[in-house]
Amino acid sequence: MNSVLNSKKTIFLLVFPGLAIMVFAILAPILLSLYYSLTSWSGFGAKEFIGLANYKEIITKDATFWRSLWNALLLLGVTVFIQNVLAFILASVLIQLTDRLSLILRTIYFVPAILTVVVITKLWVNIMNPNFGLLNKLLKSAGLEDLAYAWLSDPKTALGAVIFITVWHGFGWALLFYYSGLTTVPKELEEAAVVDGAGPVTRYLKVVIPYMMPVIQAVIIIDITACLKQMEIVMLTTAGGPGNTTQFVAYHLYEQAFKFSRYGYGNAISILFVIIALTITLLARKYLSGDNGNE
Amino acid sequence: MNKLNKKITPGQIGLFTFLGLFALAQLFPLVWLFNYSLHKSGNLFGKKVFELPDPPQWGNYVRAWTDGRIVQYFSNTLIVVFFSITLIMAFSFMLAYACARMKWKLRSAIYSIVLLGMVIPIHTTLLPNFMWFKQFGLIDTRIGIIIPYIAFNMAFSVLMFTGFLQSVPYAMEESAYMEGAGLGRILISIIAPMAKSGFVTVGIMAFLNCWNEFIMANTFLASEPKRTLPFAIIRFEGQYSSDYAVQFACMILVAIIPIIIYFTFSKRVIAGVTAGSVKG
Repeated sequence: MNSVLNSKKTIFLLVFPGLAIMVFAILAPILLSLYYSLTSWSGFGAKEFIGLANYKEIITKDATFWRSLWNALLLLGVTVFIQNVLAFILASVLIQLTDRLSLILRTIYFVPAILTVVVITKLWVNIMNPNFGLLNKLLKSAGLEDLAYAWLSDPKTALGAVIFITVWHGFGWALLFYYSGLTTVPKELEEAAVVDGAGPVTRYLKVVIPYMMPVIQAVIIIDITACLKQMEIVMLTTAGGPGNTTQFVAYHLYEQAFKFSRYGYGNAISILFVIIALTITLLARKYLSGDNGNE
Repeated sequence: MNKLNKKITPGQIGLFTFLGLFALAQLFPLVWLFNYSLHKSGNLFGKKVFELPDPPQWGNYVRAWTDGRIVQYFSNTLIVVFFSITLIMAFSFMLAYACARMKWKLRSAIYSIVLLGMVIPIHTTLLPNFMWFKQFGLIDTRIGIIIPYIAFNMAFSVLMFTGFLQSVPYAMEESAYMEGAGLGRILISIIAPMAKSGFVTVGIMAFLNCWNEFIMANTFLASEPKRTLPFAIIRFEGQYSSDYAVQFACMILVAIIPIIIYFTFSKRVIAGVTAGSVKG
């Protein structure tokens, strides 16, 4: 049997299709991007090789680039400290219910997550519309007219509104991640804590949360990539504006290449983006999993 | 599990208010959208926060269905998603099998490289792929969108299948090899049935990813006859710029298909995603 399992031909046949597609559609374009990033190409005509000038410009002059990284960080903060905390609390409640009720509720809470980002985004654009949107009508009927904004076009609220839509859309995923994590907490651990006289809060702080740390870390790592990648919602709501208040890296590079015909420059942002995403994820993985290396 | 007793306590009222508020927050926006898709557009500008349509304007849906070219976009999406999912499942299962069961020199190197694919954001390939695919005549073709869909779903799917294969006992295939069965037959008739839940999970995740993918479809599929479903909304918005009710109807039509599929298979979807998140 080992002859089949070790046959080079078999291995090649099994591995080649998937790997070839990944090389063709991920690795090759990134290498190509590296090459374009060293040119001042507009996307048409001749390419001029300009060395690292694009990178220099991004790092020293491109305020929008730095703004977009800062926005990703803000989004991450809201995701981790608000969305994740709410999802964790809700998951902790759901796990106490009967299996049937919890399944029904999880099904409901996950509905937004299965819808295309275009439906979700356009839905919220309408809810936040200053003329007929549900949000301002609710505020007015509650006598809070002063709080009614043109949510997505006012520089004061635009970023908050974009972050809200993103966090709302991703809530179902966070909930399911934590729910499935909580199903693995051994009942004996919790029962032992109850026997020791621990109330529900202490039980959570001392037993459940420490046990869930690997899950929490995994979700945070997923969140980091997701926040860096944020693009579609921005594109469909504010297009980065007003000014550059709601810019995110992916949309910035898209705009530079396709709107301002700075294809080489866009590719340089793209390469920095790959480097940042890889570095942060690898660091997070190493640092976060280093915490429970002795378990 | 039986924490819910027959008598209703204040604590339970609080609990259900809490659960209800979340359900409201996740569902009410969609209910609002559906409700106003049945109004006349002008009614949206009324003072009331929420008002049922009287009478419901089903004609909005007729216009959205025909002018929104829902059938055309839906079939385009279906073709792309069908081939993507099938190939994602086949290729990632094969690759995972080679990595989980076979011994070869480059195994761990290749496995790590494949998993690295999970960290690369789709958006970093948007610009170069535009030029790269052009050279092969792949821009504005369905194959040109199926290929990156497969590529970007490989990493996660391989990870899932490797996990599942590790829990599939070795004995069955061993005896099959002894009897001289070929690898292809063993994979299809012995291993695949045992890794069935793996296929369900990978299939569901890949479906959600491909069905809802917007940015690559929007960038690479430029010609109208090939555009996919999410684009219906964008195009419709331009066409019916002030007719909000018809726009809403179009959005509901686009949303309703995954919602129906989701509620039909909700148990499997939730279980699949849950299993996926434990392994991932």
